[in-house]
Order: sequence, then C-alpha cells, then structure tokens
Amino acid sequence: MRLVALDGLAEKSGFQLGQGVAEARAMCPEVDVLPADRAADRALLDGLADWCSRYTPLVALDGDSGLYLDITGCAHLLGGEKSLLDDLLARLFHLGIEARAAISSSAGLSWAVARFGSQGVIAPDEAARVLAPLPMAALRLTSDMIETLGRVGLKQVGDIIEAPRAPLARRFGATLLLRLDQAMGLEDEPLSPRLPVASLSAERRLSEPVQGEDDILVLTQELAARLKPELEKRGQGGRLFELLLFRVDGRVFRIAAGTSSPLIEPGRIAGLFRERLQAVHDDLDAGFGFEILRLSVPKSEKYEVMQEDFSGTPDRQRPLAAFADRVMARLGAESLFLPVLSESHVPERAAVFQPLADVGMLKTAEEGACSVPASLLAASVRPQRLFQSPEPVEAVAEVPEGPPRSFRWRRSLHRIARAEGPERIAPEWWLDGETAAERDYFRVEDERGRRFWLFREGHYGGPTQPRWFMHGVFA
Amino acid sequence: MAENAVQRETVLSLRETIARIENRRLAGVVKTVKAADPAGFRSRKEGSQSSGRKVLPLGIPELDAILEGGLPLEGMTEIRNFETRDAGAAAGFATALGALCQQARQQKGDDRAPVLWISQSLASTEAGLPYGLGLKAYGLDIRSLILSLPRTVKDALWIAETALSVSAFCAVILEIRGNPASLALSESRRLHVRARAGRIPLLLLRQSGHEEASSAFFRLHIEPAPARERPLPDGSMLCGSIGHPVFHVIAEKSRSPAPVGLFLEWNPHDRRFYPVEPLPAAAAANPEPAHSVARLSASSGRPGGAEPLGHLLAFPRAS
Repeated sequence: MRLVALDGLAEKSGFQLGQGVAEARAMCPEVDVLPADRAADRALLDGLADWCSRYTPLVALDGDSGLYLDITGCAHLLGGEKSLLDDLLARLFHLGIEARAAISSSAGLSWAVARFGSQGVIAPDEAARVLAPLPMAALRLTSDMIETLGRVGLKQVGDIIEAPRAPLARRFGATLLLRLDQAMGLEDEPLSPRLPVASLSAERRLSEPVQGEDDILVLTQELAARLKPELEKRGQGGRLFELLLFRVDGRVFRIAAGTSSPLIEPGRIAGLFRERLQAVHDDLDAGFGFEILRLSVPKSEKYEVMQEDFSGTPDRQRPLAAFADRVMARLGAESLFLPVLSESHVPERAAVFQPLADVGMLKTAEEGACSVPASLLAASVRPQRLFQSPEPVEAVAEVPEGPPRSFRWRRSLHRIARAEGPERIAPEWWLDGETAAERDYFRVEDERGRRFWLFREGHYGGPTQPRWFMHGVFA
Repeated sequence: MAENAVQRETVLSLRETIARIENRRLAGVVKTVKAADPAGFRSRKEGSQSSGRKVLPLGIPELDAILEGGLPLEGMTEIRNFETRDAGAAAGFATALGALCQQARQQKGDDRAPVLWISQSLASTEAGLPYGLGLKAYGLDIRSLILSLPRTVKDALWIAETALSVSAFCAVILEIRGNPASLALSESRRLHVRARAGRIPLLLLRQSGHEEASSAFFRLHIEPAPARERPLPDGSMLCGSIGHPVFHVIAEKSRSPAPVGLFLEWNPHDRRFYPVEPLPAAAAANPEPAHSVARLSASSGRPGGAEPLGHLLAFPRAS
C-alpha cells in the first residue's frame, strides 16, 4: 500500500508520493488515508472536461490529472485570455476543485507553468524567460532522464536552453530537445480532443437557470431556429443532433437524437428532443437548473429542398420520416425493422429483419428484394410466422422417414390429419460446418385445422437419433 | 305546433349524437326525417343513405353484412383467437386484411403507403415472428411493411398512437398478447378515436385473449379450419394435400351477429376471400354421439354453461 496522491497539507507535512502507508502512519499517526479509486478519478476528470466545453469545444485529456483546452479563437468571447482564466478558476473554486492553470502559446509551456511556475497568461515572447528558472521536470521528461541530467548538474531548464544542441542530443537522445522545443513553441504539438467537434452549434447562456422540460424544449426550438439559416446556406440537414445541458453545479448532460433523414425544421428537431427527454426522464436530474444549453450538429448530410406542390396530397416520405424519428428517439434505434430477403435456403436466413436506419431504405428495399432469384421465392410453401429458434417437439412417425402421426408441442397433443412433405433443406456447410444435420420439413395440419411447419433433424439409423422441431405456424 | 317541431328537432339531434358515439348508422327514420326538406320532398337521393363511414367491401355478402358494408377503413377492428396455437390463423386473417388494404391503396395509385405491424415482443416470442418469405407468398407486399417489436404493452400502444396520428400508413396491425390491464376499455377507446381521426384502419390482433368490452367497431373470433385440397388442372382435387388456408370467422361484436360463423378461404394469388363449405372433418373433430342426451341438468343462473350469443351486454373486465 503506497501513497498515490497527496493534498496540500500532506505535501507540506513532508509526505512523498510512493511512500508506504505504514511509513506515513509512523511519521504522523493521525494521517487520513483513503483508498484510491481510479475509475472515480477518471469520471471526475471526464465530467470536468465536459464542463470545460463551455469555454471551447476542443478539450483534451492529459493523463489522469490534467486537461488541455485549445482556446484558439474562443478567448475573446469571454473578454480576453485573462478574464477567461479568472472565470475558469473562480468557477472551479466554487465547485470545490483546486485547480492550477496557465495560458500560453504552446501546450508544453502551459503544462510547465501550471505545474511548476506561477500561473497566469504568458506572452509568446516570454517563453524562454519563464521557462529558465523551472526544474527539469517541467519539460515532461521521464524520471530516469531527470536523474541523469541532475547527475551532470543540469537541474533547471535554463541550463539547457542556451547549451549547444548537438552534444545534448548525442548524450541524452532526441526526446529531451523535442520536449524543450515543444515547451518553447518551436515544435508543433497536436492535441487530440476527447470528442469530435461539431460542424455547427448554437448556444444560449441563461442568467436564470431553467428546470422545466417545456422550457428546455422551447429553448431547443429557438436554438434550432438559429441553426436553420446556416444549415440552409450549406445545403445540409442534420442527421444527428446533440443537446448539451450545463447544470449549475457543473454536471453536463449530453442528449443525442438521430434522425432518419436530413432535417432542418426547428419544430421537428424540438419534437425529437421531446421524445428523447421522455426516454431519459429519470436520468436527467435538473437539480437547481441548467444555465447553458447548446445544440450542435455532429453529423449532417445533403438536404434536398423540396417544393410543396399544389395537389394537396401530402408527401409520403415526410410524415413517415417524422414517425420513424419520433419512435427511434424514444425507444432507440432498434425499434423499427424492415423485412429483407437474402439468398439462402435455410429458412431463418432467407428473411431477416434489418433496423430501419433511413426512410430511403423503403425505396431501396424494393431493389434488394428483386435481386433474390424468383426460383427461391416461388419454391415451396413457407409459414407466415417463424419461431426464432425451433422448438423441440415429441413426434411419433408411422414410417421412419415419413411424416409424423402425432406430436406433442408445448404440452398439448396434436393429431395430424394431413401432411405434405418432406422438403429437404441441406445445411449451409460453409457456415454451419460439415457436421450439421439435414432437415426434412413437413407441412402438417392437425384435426382442428391448425397448420404447422415441422422438421426432422437427422435420419433414422444415423449416428444420432433424429429430433423433431416446430419451426413455424401457417395461417 | 312550432314548439312541437323544436322539441322533435332536439330529440333528433340527441339521437344523432348517441348514434355517433355508438358508431352506429343513423336509424332509418332519423335519417329520413333529416333528409326530408320542409316542403315534404326528399332532398337527397336514396344512395346517400349509407353512413359516411369508409369501408372496404370484402366481396362476401354474409361477411359484408356482418361488417355493415365491409372492413372499416377508419377505426379499430379487433381480431382475437383463443389459444396461442391458433395464433397463426388470427395473424393470417389480419395479414389478409392488411394485404387487402394495400391492394385497395394500390388500385388508387398510391402504392407506397406501408403497413405497420406492431408486435409486442411477448406476443412475437410466443407465436413466432412474422416471416418475410411466408408473408410475401401470402399476398402481402413486404417491400412496404414495417415491423416494430416494442418490449412493453405501453410502448406498443404509444407507437400505435403515434402511427395513427401521421397519415403515412395504409393499415396498422397491433398485436397484443392476452388482456393486459394497460389496454382496457378507455385505452381502446382512445386508439379507436385516434384511428378514426387519422383515417387509418387499425387491426387489434389479440392473441389468446378473452372477450372484453372494447371500443372496436367489430370483434371477430378466428378459429382455424381444415383447408381444402389442392386443385389439379383437370378439376379434381389432389388427395391428401393441404391447399389455401381456411378460417372459421365468428363475429362476436356486431350489430348483425352470425352465431354459426363463416368459413372463408384466403386465396393469396387472387388476394381475396372465398366462402367455402365446412369440411366434414371439422365436425368430426368435435365428436358427439348420434343421440346426445344431457347427462346433467343444465345449470342456470350460475357460471359454467355456455351463454347464448347476444345475451350478454357487457363483459366483466378481463384485463
């Protein structure tokens, strides 16, 4: 058991990271040791990253204790870099989080200054002056390298800024100079944001937080109306919308709603979120209200502007798309299906259901269905209902390979009056393996007139006893 | 005299309201009086006597008489079966009606209106999923079929209500198992009103459910019946074969009940029903002695004996 994190007081008391707990207790018996919970730390950092997206959409995680915010082009929205930093730190302080932050022109310099120097905004030409007095650890080097550098007397960054580069590279490797250049802003360092940046978004900051669902929906519609001209200008419609709700206590909720066709109408976008809010009802705890609402369009597609005609007959696709969107927003993407036929002799593979992702699929399903050879469709009779997995039945056949005389299914006995068959369907060895048994299908009618589809798997006299299954029900 | 006329007008309008609530056509006398103008002449033609309800005639006089003209194209019709193993017959009958609705739409030149089949997952696991190839062979155009498998009855009802409020579907089939408490009289009333407002036929397929008071126009009880044999080109029948499906349709809720029921054969190629005579095999399935004598005296005033049809006005709530 070792110490993995220390608070300010503990640091002052002389504890070290990596120290044994027993040793720490010996130094100071009243020390309070909590077990580390990496998952919770991670969740907190993720939550903070979400919260930071109020300043910029480009937020990247730095290990498990830091965040990079790329505020290029965002600072002026909050009255400059200084006031952005003050606002950020003040809000985090009120959330009860101790944070250190710095703004500079390179990620490496900000990292160094936030952790080892005085915080604040650093002008681009001050990099060398600010870096010089910092310890080597400020360059994000491995502990081995810091130790090696310290052994030859290179303890501060200033010691190597002015030093000749070639001997340093020869002796300590390229990493040292790369880190130094990154901190100085000479080398570019890409940040990888946590989430892809939406192509479009609109935001509303409220002075009075809202709690009610209706208020959220009204504001959503307003935001969607603000997005509409821009979408129209680009000739795009949203396929996925995301609503970010910033709660006053710092929690951020993301609610995504997909559509089945490109969408720009504000009313329908708000309608989608009405269903989504119904669906996530219990998870969305408004608490003391939401202060910022942001609607973004992470995914968009070409939108074809259609002119209304004078005939008065409504367009077929549009209400259907509206219906599909509402259902999928509320019940999930896997709630509407289209039957799709495919080339297979095995009944359960010949017709499957495909989730309806796009209303345009209704049209394309037409061509898909026609690609199946007519011989397969015209083949023999198929039941109207098929069990997903065949149900075993106890059947008695008069002659070994013939149709059953009676069978017991779901604990009731059916006497068979007539039977048609067998229709032999061989397994698809390329999928099922060579040992899969053949099936002999019989269409049977019992004495009351119920029609069933039974099959026998295997043969009498084969290596295993044949088994009977119920696979479908006819009308 | 004038006062008398005013009173009569009030009574007539009340009767009309009641008739509308009860989904009933106006009684002949009311209609005639309404249609007559003060001068004593008939103002409208005889043909306009039929109610404003849109129906789809099924081509069989007996069935159309039960359904008062045909399958209602605006509103709810309930189709039920008694046991799960009969679910194939009821689903087949509902599918046939769906195919007829599709056909009627296609004849009007509107061939892209899909059929929505909502099957609560309990119902589809018990009685099997609708099977595309089989439905295609059955006469349903599966290119315009959308299936929904909601988990709960509540979700199923919500989807049905949403579907009825958009005018995109040519028929909605709602399949529910049993008599769930969340689909009682008031909910069925709500669906029925929605279907009428949306002008969409709603087929409530109640799998292995009891008869229960509902707001549907009609409730049909479907039982399986032995099929004919397959016809051969020379006119004879192929012995021992199983031909087109046959249903035994018993109207449970209708203004003109036919207690015996009708035997109908569905022909997928022609996409229509044909009346057939019941096979003697169907009678043999319920063997009764030639000279049956009641062994026990019939119970009266107690549950147990089969009630004569049309005797009961309201059912106890089954859900």
